[in-house]
Amino acid sequence: MDLLWQTAVNATYAASYMALIAVGLVMIFGVMGVINFAHGELYMVGAYCVVFLYAQENFPFLLAVAAGLVFVGIVGIVMERTMFRPLRDNPLGGLIASIGFLLILQTLAVLGFGRRMGHVPPATQDKAEIFGAVLTHQRLFVILAAILLLAALWTFLRRSKFGRALRACAQDAEAASLQGISMNQTARIAMFIGAALAGVAGALTAPLVSPTPYIGHSIIVTAFIIIIVGGVGSLEGAVIAAVLYAFVHTFVTTFFDGVIANIVGLALMFAVLVVRPTGLFGARERA
Amino acid sequence: MPAAGAGGAVRRLAWRLRLVFLFAALAALPYLLSYSQQEIAVLLVINVLLVSSYRLLTLTGEWSLGHVVIMGVGAYASALLAKQLGVPVPLSTLLGGGAAAAVAAILSFPLFRMKGFYFLIGSFAAGEIIRLIWKRFTDPFGGPKGLKRIDPFPDIEAGFLSIDFYEPVNYYFLALVVVSASLFVLYRIERSRIGLTFHAIHWQDRLAESVGVDTFRYRTLAFVIASFFAGIAGGLYAHYVGAVNPTRFSVDQMVYVLVWAVVGGTATFHGPILGVVALTVVNEIVLRALGLDTVRPLIYGAILILSVLYLPNGLESLGTRLRARLQHWRGGPAATGSEPA
Amino acid sequence: MSRKSLDRKISRRKFLGTTAVSGATLAAMGAGLPRVSFADGHTIRIGFLAPLTGPVAAWGKPGLDGCLIWADWINAKGGVDIGGKSYNIEFIGYDNEYDAAKARTGATKLIKEDGVKFIMMLGGDTWPGVQKVAEREGMLFSTLLPSDLSPDSTTLVAPCEVHPIYNVTGVEWLAENRPELKTAVICAQDDALGKPSVATYLAAFEAAGIEMQDEPLFFDPATTDFAPVMTKLLAGNPDILCLDTCYADYVHPLCEQAFQQGYKGQIISCTADFYQKIIEKTSAEFMEGFIFQFPDFDDPALNSEGVNFVNPNEFYAEYAKRYGASEWSAVSWEYASIMDLWADAAGKAGSAEPAAVLEAMKAGGTGKHAFGTADWWGTELFGIDNALVGNWPVVAIEGGKATIKEFRSIPAWWDKHKDLMVKHMTALGQMWNQRG
Repeated sequence: MDLLWQTAVNATYAASYMALIAVGLVMIFGVMGVINFAHGELYMVGAYCVVFLYAQENFPFLLAVAAGLVFVGIVGIVMERTMFRPLRDNPLGGLIASIGFLLILQTLAVLGFGRRMGHVPPATQDKAEIFGAVLTHQRLFVILAAILLLAALWTFLRRSKFGRALRACAQDAEAASLQGISMNQTARIAMFIGAALAGVAGALTAPLVSPTPYIGHSIIVTAFIIIIVGGVGSLEGAVIAAVLYAFVHTFVTTFFDGVIANIVGLALMFAVLVVRPTGLFGARERA
Repeated sequence: MPAAGAGGAVRRLAWRLRLVFLFAALAALPYLLSYSQQEIAVLLVINVLLVSSYRLLTLTGEWSLGHVVIMGVGAYASALLAKQLGVPVPLSTLLGGGAAAAVAAILSFPLFRMKGFYFLIGSFAAGEIIRLIWKRFTDPFGGPKGLKRIDPFPDIEAGFLSIDFYEPVNYYFLALVVVSASLFVLYRIERSRIGLTFHAIHWQDRLAESVGVDTFRYRTLAFVIASFFAGIAGGLYAHYVGAVNPTRFSVDQMVYVLVWAVVGGTATFHGPILGVVALTVVNEIVLRALGLDTVRPLIYGAILILSVLYLPNGLESLGTRLRARLQHWRGGPAATGSEPA
Repeated sequence: MSRKSLDRKISRRKFLGTTAVSGATLAAMGAGLPRVSFADGHTIRIGFLAPLTGPVAAWGKPGLDGCLIWADWINAKGGVDIGGKSYNIEFIGYDNEYDAAKARTGATKLIKEDGVKFIMMLGGDTWPGVQKVAEREGMLFSTLLPSDLSPDSTTLVAPCEVHPIYNVTGVEWLAENRPELKTAVICAQDDALGKPSVATYLAAFEAAGIEMQDEPLFFDPATTDFAPVMTKLLAGNPDILCLDTCYADYVHPLCEQAFQQGYKGQIISCTADFYQKIIEKTSAEFMEGFIFQFPDFDDPALNSEGVNFVNPNEFYAEYAKRYGASEWSAVSWEYASIMDLWADAAGKAGSAEPAAVLEAMKAGGTGKHAFGTADWWGTELFGIDNALVGNWPVVAIEGGKATIKEFRSIPAWWDKHKDLMVKHMTALGQMWNQRG
């Protein structure tokens, strides 16, 4: 019973940070039609913000996380302005440019922090016990932050004018611009939010993983699987798929092993693609 | 149209002359290179086939992320046939291409239910599953370490003639012959009715369907043909390097193929070839010669971004632009006819 | 129709034109660059063929950095004395990006164009690409991964790192000093480094009478969240938690999770890079007694008689000064220690030629390994006796500091328990004659 609970707690944590990353990726794809291959590297940059500000310069942890969120969001805006905007009619070009950007970010991280892992001491070592399962506060932060941020995002998208514009652009960019919605403005905000979510996930989990300049690769593969299962255009789908994938992967790892968990994850993705190519929650088809 | 008559004959002659010059240049090339640059040239020739076969697939408008894994299928199949069953290497390479084509044919059933972005991601998923199979089933695939000591291409010993394919210059010519023949076939396919249908599916897929073109069959056909040649490229690779492993065919390598194709430009047959040649020279020779090891990926990344931003139609459009500029200076009319469609 | 034929002519023309231009460019590049630049008569060049960029660079680049210190020190003393003449040593690096084909290109460049006399490699995925070159050119190569050894390659030696065989010393020491520990679990990443290491630990545990609670747990190298792995490992409350040869970026989160999930038992691991940072993440009490195999090079025990590494403490200090203590790792000293062995052999041979150096290196069946005189060994495991195996330190964390507990003999263990090792290596498909 303990094992079951502990595994459920582990899975909840995994679902939280994966959801942050996947929602950001979907958001960027939804508005700009670009697959951001550098998304894992945005996570990495967020993690290195914490390495630098918190572990090296001794700023408070939460301040470092907030700085990571803003900084990576700004990196997102830079990507939008310099790459995705000029390449708006060229989604493949956008993909290639994001690959170029990924190489640049990786190299900058190596130059700035060395090629070996960054070290982040835990912000707190306190832990809670839930029915005999251990949940450290460090992990609890991630879960709470994910819930908070995603709820805020959801409210923002439903209630604000920007949110409506964002959804309009995601559904039909041309019609939206005819309605007087500024595509540039909307794309900028979407890119900020999408990148910032990846960045904050990296920043929050930095003490729990060992950030290396190359960690983005592990992240992007998982994120791809999740957005496929969820349906590429669907934010809600990304969240649900993140939960589904995290639970399946965590339980299989615990009761079988990690390699089998990866095979099961991929098989799940492939099954979804075959049965319902647009993902569990995707409706639109994008050619 | 002046396609026939005296003008046509002159053009045909010019085209043959160019072909002769091209092959003369390619034949002379290895003798201008150092030994290790000859090695790079061998791999470059193999990659030319890889990226050209990839272009055939993109004609139908589908971009795959599994092409390098398919190359791997050819490499593994050819290596295993040679190692375990003693199949002679030239034949095993051909069969490796066949194995790659067969895998593509099977994969086409799930994959061609998808289009566009979904196909891209679906092909990635399929590729990852194949790679996991290589990793998981140590027998016969060798697990994460892969296969090594793969039989080399057999030496040719015929009287005074003795060709040792360990020497990169000899393997270069072998690969050049195989790749040229493959490119010729690919070129003919593209110019044939089938190739035109591929184009039609890309640009007007609903229309093509409405006039009775079975788009699924043509997409599959393009995928299978492209995979066959990718498999051949895999065989050429495996028997040259002597080792394959799952990491060699990971999505990181696929990214390079995508980049070569896009930076070169995919509107024309020669675009991707230009891309792979230019980027390989830059990455393997120029940047290495400058001694920029740590920042090499950064410069490569910057080149990628700049080229998609400022050369959106790829390097192939550079020649056209220059020619137009030249014409303009000469005061003649711009060669509008040679703009890519 | 006419439009089509026009296109056709044009694209043919363009195709040929541009391809010829690119071919000519390539040729020009080739011709423009220096082809051969052999060293002058007073310098011997050594090749360093390892990943210098990319995710595996952590096993290459710090080694090249260490070699540069080694070269500076040797050259400052007037160089290496070979056949009555002094030679400076120059290292030529080639980044193989951990790719077999690029390693092959690099090997031929180093041999044919740089004129190196010896090439050091990380090995692993890159070695099979170089194998043929080594056989044809007769060049002497070294690897850090003895699993690259095979009877076909007589000029490849593993003269320093004998991974994973030395792991038996830690288990043996633990069984002797903490006999009350009876059960163990093990996890490893599913790759070429993890598997043979698991086989070694299984053999060592069996030899020590320690029982495995569960099958080894393999995880994918791309794993970033280790909570589920640890939950599974700790499910049966084992006495010993074995982290195999996990990379540092796995060891840290694994330890953190073991701590958080309330584990109180013994931990044993092959490596514990940056262990001070693990202590920060856990606690000094938690890490007390952690056993691993890589000493700090400021450890005074390394100055003891029998250790052949020259000035280990000074080497560590210089490395930390030049590159920062955070870049230090096992490979920082391993390649340099191979150079000690090479220089010694070249001096004895009176020649830097690969065949002569190899012969001198292996003469008498023993060699000066970094941690003491050792035997050339490995016929049963690798099919060839090209691994230099002798003593290896067992290191424990005591009071927050890695401390060498003892140098233990690997051959002594092997003589008693080799059947167990062969059994487990065979079971995981790691014997030389089982590999692809």
